[in-house]
Order: sequence, then C-alpha cells, then structure tokens
Amino acid sequence: MMIASSAAAYMTDPAPAAVPLAAPAPIHIAATSLGVDFQLHGRRQRVLHDINLSVPKGSFVSLIGPSGCGKSTLLKVMAGLIAPSTGEVSVAGIAPQEAARRRMIGLVFQDATLLPWKNAVENAAFLLMTGNTSIKRDEAMERAAAMLRLVGLDGANDKMPSQLSGGMRQRVAIARALALDPQVLLMDEPFGALDAITREEMSRSLLEIWESTGKTIVLVTHSIDEAVFLSREVHVMGTGPARIIETLPIALPHPRNEESFSDPAFTRAEARLRGLLIESHRTKGHGR
Amino acid sequence: MSSTELLPDETAEPGRSWFAEAIAGFSAILPPLALTAGTLAAWEAAIRLFKIPTFVLPAPSAIVAALIENRVALAVATQATAVEILFGFVLAALVGIAVALVIVRFERFGRALYPLIVLFQTVPKVALAPIFILWFGYDLAPKISLIVVIAFFPVAIDMLAGLQSVEPSFVALMRSVGASRTEILRRVRIPHSLPHLMAGLKVAITFSVIGAIVGEFAGASAGLGYVIQFASTQLETPLVFAALVVVSVVGLVFYYLVEFAERVLVPWAPKFDAMHRS
Repeated sequence: MMIASSAAAYMTDPAPAAVPLAAPAPIHIAATSLGVDFQLHGRRQRVLHDINLSVPKGSFVSLIGPSGCGKSTLLKVMAGLIAPSTGEVSVAGIAPQEAARRRMIGLVFQDATLLPWKNAVENAAFLLMTGNTSIKRDEAMERAAAMLRLVGLDGANDKMPSQLSGGMRQRVAIARALALDPQVLLMDEPFGALDAITREEMSRSLLEIWESTGKTIVLVTHSIDEAVFLSREVHVMGTGPARIIETLPIALPHPRNEESFSDPAFTRAEARLRGLLIESHRTKGHGR
Repeated sequence: MSSTELLPDETAEPGRSWFAEAIAGFSAILPPLALTAGTLAAWEAAIRLFKIPTFVLPAPSAIVAALIENRVALAVATQATAVEILFGFVLAALVGIAVALVIVRFERFGRALYPLIVLFQTVPKVALAPIFILWFGYDLAPKISLIVVIAFFPVAIDMLAGLQSVEPSFVALMRSVGASRTEILRRVRIPHSLPHLMAGLKVAITFSVIGAIVGEFAGASAGLGYVIQFASTQLETPLVFAALVVVSVVGLVFYYLVEFAERVLVPWAPKFDAMHRS
C-alpha cells in the first residue's frame, strides 16, 4: 500500500530529511480568484474576496490577520469543508473535496477534539480507521503509535485525554492528522489555547515534524512570532473585504532554533508583519 | 518532549489504609443516619404524646409491625410491581433512544416529529391511565404503556442533546476524511451521547416507578399500588405506609442499578455529586 510504505519510510528514518531548498518546488495548493459568500439572515455576505494563492510542495506557509479576516474560512475551503462560491482551488491538482476523500488532507484545530472514551493511541488512529476498511486495526494502531512517538509522546499511548495536558492533547491531535499520511497539513490556530511556554515548545516540535516529514503545512495563526519562526512565507490577510493584502517571504535561515529569535532577519520580518497588521486593523474600522 | 508534562494519575489514592478509608466512609454516612434516627424518634414520641390515632398517622413502630405482619403479601405485590417497572422502563428506554436517533438521522422528519413529541409531553400522562385500562384491560399491558408514555421523554430529550452536542470541529474532522453521516452518527455521535443517555435513564427509572403505581391505582388486582389503595379504603394506614416504604426501596434499588450500569458502561462520564460540586 502506498500510504503505508511512505509512512514507514519516515518512521524508520528519523534523520531529518533535506530541508526544502530554495529551488522552485511544484505548486501543491493553488487558489485563483477564489471567493466565498455566506448566506447570513437571508443576506449574501462576502467572506473571502479574490484570493490568489499558491503554496509550493513541502513548504510551510502561514495565514495571519485580524479576526474576521476569513483565514479560517480559507483553510476550510482548502480542506474541502466549504465550497468556493467563485474561482477555483486545488490541492495536489484536484478539487479539495476529492483530495479529502483520498485522505490527502490532515486537519488540526485549536481545540484538540479528542474522543474522551478513547485513549491517546486510539484517538490518534481514529481518523485513519474511519471509513477505511482496507487497513487492519493492528496496523492502524501501530501507525498511530509511531506518530505519537514522532510528535514526542512516547509512553502516553494508554493515557485517556482527561489525563493529558493541553499541549499533549494537541500533540495527539497532530499525530492523528499525521497518521493519515496526508499530503498537506492544515492547522487552524493549533496552539492558540496553550500557554506561552508550551506554545514555543510546540512550535519547535512542529518545525522538527515538518523537517522530518516534508509535508506541506498551512498554518492559521494570530501570533506574529509563531508565523515568522515557522514559515517560509506569510500571507497577511485584511478585512473589508477579506483578502490577502501581502505575501511576505521569510528569509530566516534554517535550521531554526532559539537563536533564530534574535536573528536580524527575524526582527525585520516581525516588524514588517506588525506594520502590515496594524495597517489592516486600521482599514478594518473604515472598511465597512 | 519532557515527561514532566504528564499529569499525575488522579485515580490513585495516596497511601490510605483500609481502616482510614472505613472511618472516612463512616463519618460521611453518619450525619444523614443520625438525622434519620432523630426524625423517627421524634415522630414516634409525637404520636404517643399527642395520642394521634393510628389510621391518621401510624407511628414508625406500627409501620414496622405492618411490614413484618404483611411480609408475604408485600413480597408478592413487590414482585408484580417490579416486573411492570422493569418491562416499562426497558421499553421506554428503547422508544426514547429510537425517537432521538430518528430525529437526528432523518433531519426533515425529525423537524416534523419533534414539536409533536413536545406537545405530547404537555398532556398529563396520569390522565391517560383510565384510557389504557379501557384499551388493554387490567393486566400488565396498560401499566407498561403508561410507564412508556411517562418515561420515554427524558430519555429521548437527553439522548438528543447528547447526539447534537458533538463539537462541530469534530464533525468537520470526520468530514475531512470523507466520513458519511451514518458513520459520524455511529462512531462519534452515539458514543458521545451515552453519558447524556444515562442521565436520561436515571430520570426515566424514577418516572417508571411513578407510572407503575399510578397504573395500579387506575385498575389492578396486584402490585404495591393496589395494596396502597386497598389498604387505605380499609383504613389500614400502617399497611399503606409499609407499602410506601417498600415502593421507596424498590425505586432506590432500580435507581442504583441504573447508576451502576452507568459506571460500567460510560466510565468517562463526568461524575455528578450533588454535595461536592466544584
């Protein structure tokens, strides 16, 4: 089975794969003049307007912007949960819904959403076993356990969600998404509910996971630090109407670690992002 | 990752001996026991002091005497009532679960059904007892029917709340791997609803006891309700009270059976403790 073999490849080889190089990678997620309208109280409301976006394969991209700018909606469109009203979007060259059906998309939300009646490894295997008769239970459990190790949760397989801390629950949620061996990992403020220290620890973990698995990751975040530290590219979104106002490449060298925070490139990118966000906040007030 | 993030296992009691535990358990039940004993003593004293006639209010000692004297008749009546409660409760639970599942699975039909069920709930069910006697005679059937119409509602409503309170993000997660509605229902909604269902069943079991007694009032030739009604027409008030004691015990036993089932079936359910709510 293709998925199993490629999963096994990075399970057995813990050495970090080559960090994606500057050479142009094929486009993995593409949106062209994408628009989304919601029907709210009988009125059409434009939630996303003319989004053009391309995410290279194996890249780490963040969406950042004020609340209500539609970044979560954009992520849901990429996940095939919301159909675009206008324009087009594709994941690995196919429609997101089809990609979801083929289990090419891993999702992580702010809330870990673990099932309280299942332990960590069962939770991590849950989506893998959903609607998938081709995989045996043992095989799924084994893969889930491997993913728990990958996210740094050795020895917690039998713990129930109520016995895990917020950070650990979120690690299980990441392991659950990775267990699908998805092509892309879509994360909606995955560390938003965690304390500052855990947040940084999780960021470093996520970076390691990205480096070792080579997944394409799209991260929705509120945190400027997080976006700069993790991403190769940050899309800044603004409101009124919700759109991408600027795409900022992050020139921070890899490997990234604690020292990266004091790198001049980090400081520059952070200042630039902050400026853009303040600007988008200002236009928010006048926009509508 | 550091293992310091592991939380301590809260189920493990830090080194307490069985003796300390027994003392702790005893001191927990001591206050209610003392209050009960005090109340009974005051009751007994008041009856003797004010010479209240037994047919108005029997003393606790008279009730105990009636219990012992009529133990065979009460045992037979208890069996009849317990059978009604058991069958009625099981059927009510099944109907309640089925209603909740139908409403959730067949959304459009559910929207039509739900208001009717709520409307039906406003009908005083006790008033239906004579009709059920008319339809089904004096045997088990009218009592079971009455229990079902009284007790299915809390089961249906609580189960429904459980089925519908699954986090939307979890549903999104299931949909992101192409899970069908049926699969989401079977693998997420139903297990998620079980703690709610058990709460509904606990209400339903107490309703079932009421249903059985009322059903017997309306027309019966056996059962604790029948004993209560018969004894009161004979002014055998101690026997009325004795039967009431037995009804309470039966209700209590059934209630704790359901609670025991809850602990076995849904150990992840939040523990409800009326006295120590945080």
